[in-house]
Amino acid sequence: MKSREQEYREIFMAEALEYYDAMSRHISELEKDPADEKALNELFRLMHNLKANARAMGHSDIGEVAHRMETIFGLIRSKERAFEGSLVPVLFTGVDTLGSMIRAVGEGEKTANADPLLANLERLVNGEEPVFEEDPDLASDEDATRKLELSDLVYIQIKKLDHLLNLVGELIIDRDRILTLSQEIGNPALQSTAAHLFRIADDLQYSVMDARLVNVGSLFNKFPRVVRDVATAEQKDVELAILGQDIQIDRNILQIITDALLHLVRNAIGHGLETPEVRVKAGKTAEGHLTLSAQTERDDVLIQVIDDGRGIDVESVRKKAVERGLTTAEAARNLDADAVRAFLFEPGFSMAKEVTDISGRGVGLDVVKLAIDSLGGQLRVDSVLGQGTTFSLVLPTSIAVKGALLFEIADRSYAIPLMHTDSVVSLWPDEMHVIGGVLLARVLHENIPVVNLHDLLNSSEDGVLPTANKGSLVGRQDIIIVNYNNRKLGLIVDRFLRQQDIVIKPMSKPLDMIDLFGGVTLLGSGQVCLVLDVPALTRLFLAKRP
Amino acid sequence: MKNRILIVDDSFYMRTMLKNMLTDAGYEVVGEAANGQQALEMASATKPDLITLDVILPDNTGLDVLKGIRQEQPDVKVVMCSAVGQEVIVNEALESGATAYIVKPFSEEKVLEIVGSALQNADSGSTEA
Repeated sequence: MKSREQEYREIFMAEALEYYDAMSRHISELEKDPADEKALNELFRLMHNLKANARAMGHSDIGEVAHRMETIFGLIRSKERAFEGSLVPVLFTGVDTLGSMIRAVGEGEKTANADPLLANLERLVNGEEPVFEEDPDLASDEDATRKLELSDLVYIQIKKLDHLLNLVGELIIDRDRILTLSQEIGNPALQSTAAHLFRIADDLQYSVMDARLVNVGSLFNKFPRVVRDVATAEQKDVELAILGQDIQIDRNILQIITDALLHLVRNAIGHGLETPEVRVKAGKTAEGHLTLSAQTERDDVLIQVIDDGRGIDVESVRKKAVERGLTTAEAARNLDADAVRAFLFEPGFSMAKEVTDISGRGVGLDVVKLAIDSLGGQLRVDSVLGQGTTFSLVLPTSIAVKGALLFEIADRSYAIPLMHTDSVVSLWPDEMHVIGGVLLARVLHENIPVVNLHDLLNSSEDGVLPTANKGSLVGRQDIIIVNYNNRKLGLIVDRFLRQQDIVIKPMSKPLDMIDLFGGVTLLGSGQVCLVLDVPALTRLFLAKRP
Repeated sequence: MKNRILIVDDSFYMRTMLKNMLTDAGYEVVGEAANGQQALEMASATKPDLITLDVILPDNTGLDVLKGIRQEQPDVKVVMCSAVGQEVIVNEALESGATAYIVKPFSEEKVLEIVGSALQNADSGSTEA
């Protein structure tokens, strides 16, 4: 059992980090509107709580900083001081210092010396001018590139929930097996028990998934501060809107997309939004608009980063894609705008003319793409030149169970996650054409390359696929149209089976090296079913097309 | 019969500490409220013998909550919890009918001493804590 001291420590840390997040948010609000009494009262209350809790835990240094901050917010509340001038950077530094002190405590490290800050807070209390050791603008530049962290504690450690979820996954697989067996055996008592087990396990699964859900707001609320810092460093005027904070999503999914979202936001401010002068010249408002929004879309969560900046110039992307050797000049000419923009997610592709301090370092859009892929999600970009850009992240609500389409090739079952399937069609051979050795099907006014999945999976290690031959196709062909990175691909299979929720288990070593398969699932019949990875499949097709 | 206590504090950490101290000492903690609204609802639903009430709450002040509770339950004992610097509010609370006050950060002995004597005054001798 956990000791009480340890329990207190964990609660203190979780709550202190929460307080720090809320402080960062409220102080940015107060900067925007110094008359915002609600933000001021909250800052006062949070400082007060942090002070009391820190002192009870014996962290007197945190308590001291929080105490003096509380005093100043109290003075602002009673109108004896105003939130303006040199007081503002001192209070921002105060919030940052509390953040790093809390983190240091969490890491079991010594907290840094806060004496210069304490001295400045003391000066402010006494009505004197603060003394800055360095240019405060330099300090904010460092803030702009810092990493965001999500608390590891939801008052219960997430790894415990992970473990629970894994167990439920195992249970579901056995349950499906028992259900199938009970039908084969045909004993009524067994059948009704199996049916009951089915419902209970279902309930359990959704309860565990539900326990892991957190509000998207817990990540979004970190952004007002990030936006303020990046905008200052980039000398942009940015107005941020946050929508759909209450949408719920699995905590680990939120963790995985944190860096991706951070990058998209920095990108939007650094490259998307123009400087006030440029904007005014273009007939726009001086301040750029950035929106972070979340909404549910069927079973998925759609997160969007929307800016009203300069937009993406499709022609220069097209040119650059050819220069980088990502495609031939001839092929590039025929690509539509969506397909061209998809090049932005290729490794090493960067449109930034100059590397700026903010978005030039660290991850590129290809890393954003990889993070979303690893979740089985989708990343899209839409843009109108001169009007703005929207990045859309379609994410599963939960990692445990995925809707999948089951089908057969050569008497074996396979599954493809529904997230990547566009549509399912049955076509006669004469509805398809061979162009340049590739089979093309016309589906809804679009020419889509089609490949026999059996051939693709069994193609030799380094050879190209044989030239498509319509003659080998007999009768109607069942085709799954998959979509990855704005590229559609038709897969010919032997037979569609059904749509089903499946629990995907990762492949064990050394089979996990095969990236074509995202994992396996066990069907109720006891049969092992391989789950295909659409991104890897698409890449394989592009590499092997004749 | 165990004395029944309602804890009102917006910090989960403080609530957990208080709950442990009081439960260990043989009191029954009948509820925990994190804001003024919850405090009023739970006070009227649980009818506790004593309430520990934080001075600063997110939605309204501990003082407002105190007045609200007093209207409905004139006999309940209320111990105000405050940190240094809230002496003005504490004084006003005592004038508005608070039974006693504790200053954070508090020690276990201090909490039990103050809670114990507040209840003692309630019904002399009949408590077991």
